[in-house]
Amino acid sequence: MRDVTLAFGTKIIQNGLSFAIRRGSIFAVMGGSGCGKSTVLKSMVGLLRPRQGEFLVDGRSYWQAGEAERLAISRRFGVLFQNAALWSSMTVGENVALPMEAFTRLGARDIRRLVAMKLALVGMEHAIDQYPSELSGGMRKRAGLAGALALDPDVLFFDEPSAGLDPITSSRLDELILNLRDGLGATVVIVSHELPSLFAIADDGIFLDARTRTALAHGSPAALRDQSADAQIRAFMHRTAEADPAAVGGSGG
Amino acid sequence: MQLRKFAAGAYVANLVGLATVREMAAVMTAIVMSGRTGGAYAARIATMKGNEEIDALEVMGIPVLDYLVLPAVLALLITMPLLYLYGCLVGMLGGFVVATAMLDVTAAGFFHQTIGAVGFDQFVFGFCKSAAFAVLIGLASCQIGLRAGRSAADVGVAATSAVVAGIVGVIALDAVFAVAANMIGF
Repeated sequence: MRDVTLAFGTKIIQNGLSFAIRRGSIFAVMGGSGCGKSTVLKSMVGLLRPRQGEFLVDGRSYWQAGEAERLAISRRFGVLFQNAALWSSMTVGENVALPMEAFTRLGARDIRRLVAMKLALVGMEHAIDQYPSELSGGMRKRAGLAGALALDPDVLFFDEPSAGLDPITSSRLDELILNLRDGLGATVVIVSHELPSLFAIADDGIFLDARTRTALAHGSPAALRDQSADAQIRAFMHRTAEADPAAVGGSGG
Repeated sequence: MQLRKFAAGAYVANLVGLATVREMAAVMTAIVMSGRTGGAYAARIATMKGNEEIDALEVMGIPVLDYLVLPAVLALLITMPLLYLYGCLVGMLGGFVVATAMLDVTAAGFFHQTIGAVGFDQFVFGFCKSAAFAVLIGLASCQIGLRAGRSAADVGVAATSAVVAGIVGVIALDAVFAVAANMIGF
């Protein structure tokens, strides 16, 4: 991302964002609530055109490209939304199968087998014929992850993957993300403020601020925790309330 | 019944036939479908929007227009003209009952008058109007759903907007058809 400005109408969310994500790394987008982390993610997956600036994927500009090229780039992305965003009128199996049916020429039986495989990866094979409304939050997230993995993406985007999950499921998800990086060589971009997960898995990251509407720091969560000069970042990473009440009110979103 | 004043009871078949086939069946069917199906489409899509399902489709590169809107419009396009024909039948049946029971028209007389007054071209006209209404209702309700906000209240707003837009649109489009038909002398 190069000098990107993100805005909704007249409201500027983030300004002058510049960062690079290394292939095969796990990149964390951090910050307090309401600082625009999800907005940054949305602009990377094609849901929000930046007001200004460039988003380059392998050197090609995403937003300057024509629609067909943008689609081709997007097809290498897998996205897990905050609430899993499963299509509620279809079963879990049908949800995972949809991208395969739409973009590959595989037959029904092959698709079914692939779907079972993807679901097994996340431990959800048993739910293949259930509807999302019949599943718990954690199960829906895992099903959503299977869907994101359906086309073997090069880059995975997670929007608050641990939100609402119990610690054990959350740590299982972390393990899964690490496996995806090590096993598949996937690049992972994760928006989160779950500190344990961030310390466990992220190699690099960026810390966004709601007040100044820009990135305060770059670096892995561990580095930010130990070496950051900024009091706000240190407080965030150590999970302690800030000394300055005005600052807390400002970044509370 | 008002026709009695003009001793024109015999013409009730013509009136009922033409009014039903040209106007009433198409418009009434469309209004009911707007309320029933237009509202449902808008609510369904608005709910999907709130649940980020539309975002998921976009991100995956599945064109929302092809995947969600087109089947919905096609479904209306196939069923509404058929419902129109059914509506014509029932409408004329109703006229038949009133004519024979209260206006001293004979069954044969009614039948004969209807066939004489309502030609095949009138059915084609109404059929085409029905198809046009179907496309209007389908497209409008889906678009309203897609533009809805993401909260629960917005789903309700989308549904009611779609119903109202559908009804008003149908009536407006009907006026356009009437003027156009008049201009070509049909």
